[in-house]
Amino acid sequence: MRVWSKALVGGVAIALAVSGCAGSSGDSPSTSSQAPSGPREITVWLMNGSAPKGLLDSLNKEFESTHKDVKVKYEEQQWNGIQDKLTTALASNDAPDLIEIGNTQAPKFASEGVLEDVTADADSFNGANWLPSLKDSGSWDGKQYAVPFYAANREVLYRKDLFEKAGITTPPKSRQEWLDAITKLKAANASDPEFQALYLPGQNWYTLASFIWDEGGDIAKKDGTKFTASLSTPEAKAGLEFYKQLVDASGTKAPKDADEQTPEQAGIYAQGHVAMMIALPWEVATAAKSDPSIKDKTSAFPIPSKTAGKTAPVFQGGSDLAIPANSKDKDLAKDYLKLITSDKYQAEFAKAGMIPGTSKDVSALEADPVNAAMAAASKNGHALPATPGWATVEAGQNPLKDMLTAYLTGAKQIDAATKDADDALNKAFSGS
Amino acid sequence: MLRKTHAQRLALAVVGLVVALVFFFPTYWMFTTALKTPAQILSPAYDLIPLSATFKNFVNAVTKPGFTTFLTNSLIVTLGAVACSLIAGMLAAVPLARLRFRGRKGFLLLVLIAQVAPLEALFIPMYLIMRDADLLNELPGLILVYVALTLPFTVWTLRGFVKGIPVELEEAGMVDGCGRWGVFRRITLPLLGPGLVATSVFGFITAWNEFLYGLVFMRDKDKQTLPVWLSTFKTAFGTDWGGIMAASVVYAIPALIFFLLVQRKLVSGGTAGAVKG
Amino acid sequence: MTTTVDTARSAGTPPPAARPGARRRARRPLADVAVPYLMMLPAVVLIVALLGWPAIQVLLISFRKLDLGELVKGKVVWVGFDNYTNVLSDPGFWEIGLRTVLFTAGAVVATLLLGLGIALLMRHLSRWVRIVLQVSLVLAWATPIIATTTVFQWIFDQQYGILNKTLVKLGFDSFQGHSWFSTGGDVLIVIGLLVVWQAVPFIAFTLYAGLIGTSKDLYEAVALDGAGGWQAFRAVSWPAVKPLLTMVTFLSVLWDFKVIAQVWAMRQGGPDGGSTTLPVLLYLRGIAASHFGIASAVAVLMLIVLVAITWRYMRLLIRSPETEL
Repeated sequence: MRVWSKALVGGVAIALAVSGCAGSSGDSPSTSSQAPSGPREITVWLMNGSAPKGLLDSLNKEFESTHKDVKVKYEEQQWNGIQDKLTTALASNDAPDLIEIGNTQAPKFASEGVLEDVTADADSFNGANWLPSLKDSGSWDGKQYAVPFYAANREVLYRKDLFEKAGITTPPKSRQEWLDAITKLKAANASDPEFQALYLPGQNWYTLASFIWDEGGDIAKKDGTKFTASLSTPEAKAGLEFYKQLVDASGTKAPKDADEQTPEQAGIYAQGHVAMMIALPWEVATAAKSDPSIKDKTSAFPIPSKTAGKTAPVFQGGSDLAIPANSKDKDLAKDYLKLITSDKYQAEFAKAGMIPGTSKDVSALEADPVNAAMAAASKNGHALPATPGWATVEAGQNPLKDMLTAYLTGAKQIDAATKDADDALNKAFSGS
Repeated sequence: MLRKTHAQRLALAVVGLVVALVFFFPTYWMFTTALKTPAQILSPAYDLIPLSATFKNFVNAVTKPGFTTFLTNSLIVTLGAVACSLIAGMLAAVPLARLRFRGRKGFLLLVLIAQVAPLEALFIPMYLIMRDADLLNELPGLILVYVALTLPFTVWTLRGFVKGIPVELEEAGMVDGCGRWGVFRRITLPLLGPGLVATSVFGFITAWNEFLYGLVFMRDKDKQTLPVWLSTFKTAFGTDWGGIMAASVVYAIPALIFFLLVQRKLVSGGTAGAVKG
Repeated sequence: MTTTVDTARSAGTPPPAARPGARRRARRPLADVAVPYLMMLPAVVLIVALLGWPAIQVLLISFRKLDLGELVKGKVVWVGFDNYTNVLSDPGFWEIGLRTVLFTAGAVVATLLLGLGIALLMRHLSRWVRIVLQVSLVLAWATPIIATTTVFQWIFDQQYGILNKTLVKLGFDSFQGHSWFSTGGDVLIVIGLLVVWQAVPFIAFTLYAGLIGTSKDLYEAVALDGAGGWQAFRAVSWPAVKPLLTMVTFLSVLWDFKVIAQVWAMRQGGPDGGSTTLPVLLYLRGIAASHFGIASAVAVLMLIVLVAITWRYMRLLIRSPETEL
């Protein structure tokens, strides 16, 4: 023992000496940080796929023209690994000045105090028009740390030709009409063994959330900054039961132990034997990669409510914009934020098929029936529990998914399934 | 083994080919998927042998913006790391295998334990170290990281290979009048061939495939590596699976070339034993 | 020839007689004493600075509360053993730990048996068959994990997977729509196949390299003595691969114990947490939730478990006659 502990000590001493040398020699030549007096620079991180390139180009050009001697350094980020990248970047001595964060991650960042408090500046960011669901995700303990950017929600995509063939003239407007449509579609396509009236995998928990909210329940109840899971309530159970009813009625061949991504449902829809799927508007484009003709055959309607004539509440997923607390030039970042949240550019996001985060004007979405259905449903948009613990749920082991699979496969009765999910959620909410 | 009968040889060849087939199948599946259109990827049809082929995925992958930059970065980082790690590893392996000195066992233990720590937990402290040393966003910084990741293994393995060389051979060399360096160059090094190949292939593949550190430590797009490029096929709007598979095929090619270049050593290592005679 | 460095020193040292090393060293000139240290210097510096130092940091962090906020603001908050009690008080931890050990054991045994078998096989193959086999192994090894995990998921997909389709074609109709991922154990078996598939090539190459290090002459000599295959293996191959085998066993235990990308990609440790291993726990509760103190505590616990499992090996590797000179 004595021998090798000496070796260790010696090694550490050498390492310290060497790293000391490296530090001193590395300091002088590298001048990556700008001198404050020279031209200023603002670093903007947006996610891949968030903003169309043309929009960003004109946005950055306008910003640079109104801010002399300022250069916008735009860096597009990939979703893969973004969590680690953001964590380290926020801790670096050269943090970005404006970042985009997913709305399920936002509460974690907000609650940790690593973002600039923008409560006082809300008005200059179009505060009156903020999308409520995104606003919730960016606030913590009464203060606003992130500004809504854009959102999207799910709807039912359907095949117009198959509906016509089954004699369905208007899209379903209530759960009952929806179930009736499934019956008709099945009857009209009885000769096709591959046919699925509705493709619904067992773990499409966003859809389950819709049904639970529609019943008047919720995933969790909020008390200050504390959340308690509420899946054992009668309303939540009713939502789960309807999910099962829909799976059973639809004749879906989708796996009960996977979500809509494994395998990718758009690809299956594109095979032509599926009449409906619960999806995001751009999944039409994904499907069209397999079969370009499917785009013209597809339209959409909002997820029907149990109350006839209403649309079911939907989960609104999207992104927030935030200024890291370590940003060196928060004023510039705020100016940039002001520009990107202005009506002019928000309208561009709507044109690109997103629900704008800081504008109530969704008219640009209404031209296209698939986007129009999303816009119609968006008025009843809901947020997930805005708690840091939700990031853990979203990261992987989602108790709602396990609950769905357990109940749908009959592995657990509804009471046990919901109780286990409640326990697991509460554990995640408790912070670790 | 010189006197194997014809039938024995045939049987062995068959077994060898079956094993090759089993190991090849997932790669084959990756390759055929790369040849498929999106519609064919999720097809209920039975397509063990591809029904048709398109090279569009490959064209898309290779022409994706930045491919050559990422490729160059990856080659620099990977080859740099392999070279550094082999040199440092060999320097350490020879005394560890052949010399008796104070602290030897301590160092061996250090090398062993260095491989135990989970990388996912190390990346925060590692990040802070690189940040304070001003090595973030620099290719040499990433090379250092990959050297660190592969070095303990390299030292340990090479030490094993050095020990495997009969001391008598080296003694004979010394008697023949080769100097210390001569013995190393003419006897030890050739005999180490297979060991160097095995460890360098290991180092190459480890560095070539590493994603997390490459993503987090390299901020600028023009300094990122191929695994990061590969992840750009997954977007918020779905994943281009055909593209990923085509890109993965492209991606595996340099590792294969590297192996084919060095694999002759795996054969010559065997004949090097003749030096003894 | 009076110099005492590397080969010469060992050449001049009859192994068993050289016990009292310290006294010998005293007689050596200082320059010679320094040689091994100088040769090891680059490796020592790199390992200590880039692995040892961060590892010590991990140990320290495991006694701190280090969430996103503390990390970004550079605050140091000591919490004693809180992270450990937090992790260990969860009854799930022990189950996950046991599961990880069992998974590791299964994967290591399978990898070693297959790897050794293939290494021996390669020795007896004609050149071209061997190269075909080697190329297929290298491809399995070199294929990026993002592709292999996806390919395995597709092969095992319940509706469109080629495996189920093939089984149904062969007449096993019950595999129509069969789910290979319905329990944690099933998921771990698929993951195990994937891990073994990608780990075998390295083991096979290493052992093969060790095998061809033994000269063919030796093999032939044994064969001439009329030894059969098994005896030849015992007499020639086994001594050549044994030290390597000890080493690759040790490495396989480490790697398979720490494997995360494949486990995560397959089912994120599901269903119902049934395929969660310690690295997944580390990622999920530590990294994904940004509780780096907890992550470090799990890492330290993993380290303890690993050292406990491999302690005998480490002693063997450090103390065995093989490491003596």
